Amino acid sequence: MFLALRDLRRGARRFMLLGVVIALVAVLSTVLSGLATGLVTDGISGLRALPFEHLAFQRGADATFSRSTLRPAALEKFEALSGVEATEVGSSFVNAASMDGGPSLDLALFGLSADSFLVERPEARAALADTPGLVLASELRDEGVEVGDRYSLGGSNLVLPVVGFTFAGTYGHAPIAFTSLATWQQIQFGSGADGRYSAIALRGGSNDALDAAASATETDVLTKEAAFGGSPGYTAETTTMSLIRGFLLVISALVIGAFFTVLTVQRTRQIGLLKAMGASNGYVLRDGIGQMAILVSAATLGGVAIGCALVLAVGRTKAPVELNVASVATVALSLIVAGVGGSLVAFRRVTQIEPAIALGVEP
Amino acid sequence: MKADTALAVSGVRVSFPDGRHERVVLDRLDLEIAAGELVVVSGQSGAGKSTLLAVAGLLRRPDSGEVTIAGISARGLSQRQRTALRRDHIAFVYQSANLLPSLTAIEQLELVGHIHRERSTEARRRALALLDEIDMADRADQLPSQLSGGERQRVGIARALMATPSVLIADEPTASLDPARAEVVTNLLAAAATKHAIATLVVAHDTIALDRANRHLILDAGRLREVGS
Ligand SMILES: Nc1ncnc2c1ncn2[C@@H]1O[C@H](COP(=O)(O)OP(=O)(O)OP(=O)(O)O)[C@@H](O)[C@H]1O
Ligand SMILES: [Mg+2]
Repeated sequence: MFLALRDLRRGARRFMLLGVVIALVAVLSTVLSGLATGLVTDGISGLRALPFEHLAFQRGADATFSRSTLRPAALEKFEALSGVEATEVGSSFVNAASMDGGPSLDLALFGLSADSFLVERPEARAALADTPGLVLASELRDEGVEVGDRYSLGGSNLVLPVVGFTFAGTYGHAPIAFTSLATWQQIQFGSGADGRYSAIALRGGSNDALDAAASATETDVLTKEAAFGGSPGYTAETTTMSLIRGFLLVISALVIGAFFTVLTVQRTRQIGLLKAMGASNGYVLRDGIGQMAILVSAATLGGVAIGCALVLAVGRTKAPVELNVASVATVALSLIVAGVGGSLVAFRRVTQIEPAIALGVEP
Repeated sequence: MKADTALAVSGVRVSFPDGRHERVVLDRLDLEIAAGELVVVSGQSGAGKSTLLAVAGLLRRPDSGEVTIAGISARGLSQRQRTALRRDHIAFVYQSANLLPSLTAIEQLELVGHIHRERSTEARRRALALLDEIDMADRADQLPSQLSGGERQRVGIARALMATPSVLIADEPTASLDPARAEVVTNLLAAAATKHAIATLVVAHDTIALDRANRHLILDAGRLREVGS
């Protein structure tokens, strides 16, 4: 890349425009990646933090708690499996109106029994076993909610005090909250709950055993990751983000391909000259594509750095953005690969240039 | 073929389609140039001089006939092998110097070393020596845009010599220079041919070139005709 490096250095202005375009695409891709990571966290971090491996939903519920209602008999089938821990989960979105004049809260409320394997810390067990109350995601404490505050839960005439705070987590973009299974059943079904709940959380057990129990109980057993798909908006958000990022990759590949094609046409005589001097097709291609690779890498890394700075700045507000090293690295790498791939469109154009044009004769 | 023949063109024919007919530009043309010999070819515009240079320099394949460079016949060689033969034995000097705009004078020469996979320190040393030979050592770090036409053409010659060619081919190298500068360039070519024992084939019309030539040939009707003796 003897020529490419000097050409980049001395002709920097010619490459500026392309560099800026690629850098902007990289900024945008990085911010989108931050947003995608942030939205995923905001969508399912509460569920992700619970120590289960599978969830069993009512058949056809599509991993959605609000569409799934199960009865105690289903739980017994799973509990009977050896090496499997199983526990009921009640889950619904509720509006909690403050009785003390504070702001009302939208909560992703989970009902768990105090002896459930999902409840790991002793003080959490105690909080769920005692008189009915709410354990809230810690971020609500930062918003001024305090232990002892009382909330009236929408759809029921129940008023519950805040009895404590747990880890910061969200589900379906609402902060999580825990209460006892019995309290959740009362909120959801009133006095006629009949032991109903939303889904069964499972830990351990072979896939075959779980599948057999699933067909016996007419449930769908999903992995944790598959269960994320039931979080409101989760699938739409992640596919939209992937789509936009895919488009950005295609756009940068096309822009670089077009630029490199124009550059190759402009350089036709110069490439003919190199070939007349005895440079092979490989030499000329290495020089040209290497030049694009350097340019695209530098612009991408610059853009990614700016994008990361933006994400960090925005992340200080409440916006759902988050930096994930692996996905930012993926963004950078795929942009570079797309750029180098794009420049391959001029491959044939380069190899077909005849050295004779250096003499000014058409071959 | 004589023992010291560096370039041999024999029985070469080149034709171009011309309407329903074909136009024969080179017709069973023969030419031999010995190492160290300077041959000047002239002829009318359109006679086929550039075409002859392209064939002799392995830039285009003739319809038939054979080109032999430093004893190696190019007939039947693959494109890749022709490129390698050109790299190792042939260098060109063009009408306009054809320098690369983003390289300094010395880098124009170093690029040749790079294409030849020469060690960079060795390439730099030889490049400096060659620039010195054409009296351009003090302009080594200038870009082509900072050089005059005559200076550019001199760098073009040094670049050709950098390839240590057996055969040097020049297409009207002085056509765009005034007589004084043309003489400098022609003298350089003549001196290089002798000093480095290069078979040199030059297309030119001016009297200085004819003066310096060992032989003068005229291309006419597809054949070369010797002038004088
Ligand atoms: N690719 C081509 N297709 C058709 N005809 C061509 C092609 N290349 C050259 N010719 C024709 O071949 C003839 C010789 O061309 P060439 O360039 O060799 O002439 P020349 O002697 O170098 O002329 P000049 O002194 O003007 O440079 C011309 O008539 C030209 O039109
Ligand atoms: Mg010509």
